[in-house]
Amino acid sequence: MDVLLKWKISRAIITAVYLIVGWILFTGTFSLFSIFLGIIFSFFIATLTYSIFIEKQEVARRDLIPRVYFIFIYLVILICKIYIASFKMVPAVIVGNINPRIVHFRTRLSSKFARVILANSITLTPGTLTLDLDEDHLVVHWLDAKTTHSHYAGRLIKGHFESWLKRIWV
Amino acid sequence: MILVVYIFFGMGIFFGILGNVGVLKFPDIYTRLQASSKCAVTSLISILLACMFLKGLSPMTGKILVITVFFLVSSPVASHIIARGAWERGTTPWRRKKSQ
Amino acid sequence: MGIDPFILDVVIYVLMGISVLSMVRVFAGPTPEDRLVGLNLVVAQVLGILVIIAVKFDRSIYLDVALVYAILGFIGILAIARYLGNDRGGE
Repeated sequence: MDVLLKWKISRAIITAVYLIVGWILFTGTFSLFSIFLGIIFSFFIATLTYSIFIEKQEVARRDLIPRVYFIFIYLVILICKIYIASFKMVPAVIVGNINPRIVHFRTRLSSKFARVILANSITLTPGTLTLDLDEDHLVVHWLDAKTTHSHYAGRLIKGHFESWLKRIWV
Repeated sequence: MILVVYIFFGMGIFFGILGNVGVLKFPDIYTRLQASSKCAVTSLISILLACMFLKGLSPMTGKILVITVFFLVSSPVASHIIARGAWERGTTPWRRKKSQ
Repeated sequence: MGIDPFILDVVIYVLMGISVLSMVRVFAGPTPEDRLVGLNLVVAQVLGILVIIAVKFDRSIYLDVALVYAILGFIGILAIARYLGNDRGGE
């Protein structure tokens, strides 16, 4: 059996598993007919679209199958951070005391998925908004900027998110 | 337990009003996006969490959780897309005047 | 666990008022992106209204409407932003 063919089949199966999980979450029932229909259509869609969802060259197994329990911890941390961020927005909105700047910095994450999630988290945390994500280069709009030095700004903005994401996706 | 629901509904309304005031008050597109992306997300997540506490453990809670996760993923992407459109068209960000 | 349905009504009406307030930015925005920001807020608040209505009437089927509305709102904003910005010639 060819290596490439094997890799194609495993890509299709991984896509189908994600689709089946989505189907069960959307329908919300565990009846036999529903799950049977879901499996058939998941495999049908997966054979058509696996090359779009999973590219031919991926870095590692951890890119595709994240560690699930860390995701829940990450979600809880993210929601706490969102509340802190919103309470920090209160004086900025009411008083209008802002000092916006644009800062550039780089990330050390290698997985594409992790980078996208890092960009999303930066958008959700206090006073920062991702403008552009190009490979590993981030352009961030920073309300109430403290410094424009790339390295320090990156360390202040990314905070603990990068190390947590590294544990989930490498 | 019912108190938690009241608190979350209150926070949802408070941040909704705050986000709108920010969007109306701030000077340029990027700062408006800051207010909208933070406060709208917090407002909606508070309301959804309140609904989840209200229903307890039931199939509805699972569906509301799916909506929450989807919104948590999609809302930053939407604001990022809007911001990138403005950035690539060359909109210069607002800066505070030095003299003040 | 019961809650006074009056409270849910109050929240629904307040959210409706807030979305009217954010329509001001949609009509008054100087650039097209400002209008999109207002539209984004309206989508979020209408989603909240739909979820509260589903909880109030205790119908699980209304949540599907909310989910489809969230997806369609996201895709709509994405399409408008794509239409406005000069894209990079398709990847």
